[in-house]
Amino acid sequence: MEPPGALTIAVTVGDPVAPQRDPRPVFRQPGVAIRTGPPLGGVHIWWDAAPASAVLGPAETRAHVTLSPAAVERFEECSRSFLMTVLIFLLRRTAWHHVHGATAIAPSGAGWLIAGNSHAGKSTTAALLASSGWPVGTDDIAFLAPAAERRVAVMGFRSPIALRPGAQELLDRAGGIRLTKRQKVGYRPEDLGGEWVPRVEPAVILFTSVGDAETMATPLGGRETMVELVRWSAWVVLEPEIAQEHLDLIARLAAQARSYRVRLGRDLFERPERLAELVR
Amino acid sequence: MTLRYRRHPDLRLAALEGEGVALQLGTRRYFTVSESGVLLFDALTSPRSIEELVRVLLEEYEVSADQAEASVRAFLDQCRAAELVASEDAP
Repeated sequence: MEPPGALTIAVTVGDPVAPQRDPRPVFRQPGVAIRTGPPLGGVHIWWDAAPASAVLGPAETRAHVTLSPAAVERFEECSRSFLMTVLIFLLRRTAWHHVHGATAIAPSGAGWLIAGNSHAGKSTTAALLASSGWPVGTDDIAFLAPAAERRVAVMGFRSPIALRPGAQELLDRAGGIRLTKRQKVGYRPEDLGGEWVPRVEPAVILFTSVGDAETMATPLGGRETMVELVRWSAWVVLEPEIAQEHLDLIARLAAQARSYRVRLGRDLFERPERLAELVR
Repeated sequence: MTLRYRRHPDLRLAALEGEGVALQLGTRRYFTVSESGVLLFDALTSPRSIEELVRVLLEEYEVSADQAEASVRAFLDQCRAAELVASEDAP
């Protein structure tokens, strides 16, 4: 599954282009400062951790990246935050729009999108579903993309499902890939008994949070669903020439899927199938 | 001179089953929009006077002219404060 068009990240090692003369308001994501839109047009991305910059023209599918030697030394970290942000902006130019979410396919064949922040239980739920044999696409980084008949597909970015030590313990899983800098352990869906699936067409969307009580699901209307999807698609407010396309995909996705606000409880570790029962 | 209103250039809107979400790209804020709000935003793709917007509501809802005008004025006040609607003098 590939985006419709070639994307290029041209990397130079040297002095990154600092944004001092860029008057645009800064949009901050963890470790990354982004400036977009008028009057300069295009996108400037700056990595705080070790100097690195990226410049993209308004409709260009090529990013010009400059990494300082310090950024090169921290390349793994740089890839995960700064270069991932560059990739997200490049993909927007091919109509793939980022959403913070996990994806899976239920035994019924229904596609699921599980959206929420980094403490919303997405990774643990993705691991739990993979452990039940479900195909899983991603636990965190997904892209909305136009599909046939005005439907919306969600593409999963392939990377290990990253579990905190507590979740790993609750799932009773040993092994995995040590993600030392993130203090997590990663599992491929295949390691857990599932399989990887690159693309789902969501029929169900869950907006999750974690609680102490039994798992509960509350249906959401179309407007609430759109608001939640906007919330977890932070980039939608950037780049005026692209924002409407992103927003239209959100509206189409809200129309195509049943949505629920879900409070995840520890009962799911005993009965993971309860989640599918609640949203049937 | 008549004051006319139109969508702010930084507004982006999506609607589903009559209700919607509005983005203000300049302030990077988002808002929920009611069914009547979506109707008015649709009308505001071209410049409109208050009287024209009142007629839009009267054609869709069974309300008095006074109620419709009060709704339009409240909508415009909120939208101007949030920079979702801009105004201009027209001859």
